[in-house]
Amino acid sequence: MLLKLLNAERMKLKRSPVWLAFLIMPIIPAALGTANYLYQKEVLTREWLSLWTQHTLFTDYFFLPITLGIYCAYIMRSEHMNNNWNKVFTIPARRSSVFSAKLITATLMLLFSMIWICALFVISGYIAGLTNPPWLTVARWCAFGTLGGMVTVSIQILISMNVKSFALPVGISFAGGLSGLVFLAKNMGHIWPYSLMSYGMNANAPQELAQSGCGQFILICVLYTAFFTITGGVIAARRDIS
Amino acid sequence: MIKLLKCEFMKTRRRYVFVTALVITAAMLAWIYPRHRSADLLRLGWMANLYELPLINSIFMPLLSIIVSSRLCDIEHKGAMLKQLAVTEKRGQIYDAKLLYGLAIMMFCVGLSWGMTIAFGYIAGFEGGPPIRLYLLYLLLTAAPTIAVYIFQHTLSLCFKNQAVTFFTGAIGTFFGTFSMFLPQLPWLRGSLIWGYYGALSFVGLFDWSKDDRYKLAHFDVIGVDWKFFAALIFICAAIYIIGREIFKRKEL
Repeated sequence: MLLKLLNAERMKLKRSPVWLAFLIMPIIPAALGTANYLYQKEVLTREWLSLWTQHTLFTDYFFLPITLGIYCAYIMRSEHMNNNWNKVFTIPARRSSVFSAKLITATLMLLFSMIWICALFVISGYIAGLTNPPWLTVARWCAFGTLGGMVTVSIQILISMNVKSFALPVGISFAGGLSGLVFLAKNMGHIWPYSLMSYGMNANAPQELAQSGCGQFILICVLYTAFFTITGGVIAARRDIS
Repeated sequence: MIKLLKCEFMKTRRRYVFVTALVITAAMLAWIYPRHRSADLLRLGWMANLYELPLINSIFMPLLSIIVSSRLCDIEHKGAMLKQLAVTEKRGQIYDAKLLYGLAIMMFCVGLSWGMTIAFGYIAGFEGGPPIRLYLLYLLLTAAPTIAVYIFQHTLSLCFKNQAVTFFTGAIGTFFGTFSMFLPQLPWLRGSLIWGYYGALSFVGLFDWSKDDRYKLAHFDVIGVDWKFFAALIFICAAIYIIGREIFKRKEL
């Protein structure tokens, strides 16, 4: 049933403007970040790492949370419109599965975004004249960014399910991204849900994820995601059809 | 028009549009001000604000515009109300009333953040008093790009039922505007899109800052306003308004 629900979500997103934005949005920080790197090459001496800081500067604190907020609000909007929740909740599927399908879809969109961001990073590096990209490190940033982003996605899906407005959850996501930066500055980024994505991606953050902290990071992300997913599933199951 | 504005007020009651705008403005202020400032920064505080704030505005003001315009216009899309409204009122007036109502909220937030900037300066203990003429100029040069961005977002929000289009366009523009401020080598970049005008119209520069001494020998100076950009922005504002209004008037509902 979950696969069928996932397929239904895929069909709802077909030819959606979300994909166009998904393609275009990461190109801006990649292009302008690379230009900035090239102009300041004498100061930014750590090659790939310096380029990464230029690419992720602002992206992780402001724009990626907003993008995730929009993904989640968009996925839920189709049900908020035209009383579609009534139809969704009367299909022979567990309500928690409906919630999980939406969560998995948003997570896949996040994963694709991360892969696209990393692909643009490597391409930009080659264009900037850098060689030997640190594949393993890039893969780690991408994987940990996705893991940290999953926490944001699980919260945002939960909020978007309960708030009918499209704008409000996106605003909350934006505020969440801001709070993430504050918590990182206070060295508490490893426990605040909205900081985990920047923390995992080592995005020019005041607090950096050390190799030794990976286990703890993964555990916290899994626990948060599980908590918000279970909460969402329970709320969906108890929700009254209006 | 007064009736339409009253109508807007009634429609947005208990929808917390104004509260949402205030919360975002408060988040912006909370993000900027409660931080430790060195003695050098306290000495340079008033001018440092004028140097730093355009960057913060380039992130917050467009996002506030997206959220306010979307919240105001989505009310009509959700209940298919535009069709009914267009029967009883002129479409141009509907466009104007919604625009005025949204702009009033935006300008209140711009004014509030401006006032709080000065208040926080006194609270933080910045040396001397604020250069009022420069702060008034800053207010004008913050309000102008905000108005342009808001008119653009308002038109998108009214014309597209799918608010994701509005959000993504706005987010991409904001992204572009913020990043363009990091490339002073390419001044045309800031002037090429409305979101970049927060940077194009910034008029204070930082000089003699060094990694070792930081702000010890640094000073902020007025580098002058590029009034060509300001004139271009006014023209763009008028163009977006006229074209946007016309598109809305001709739109199939």
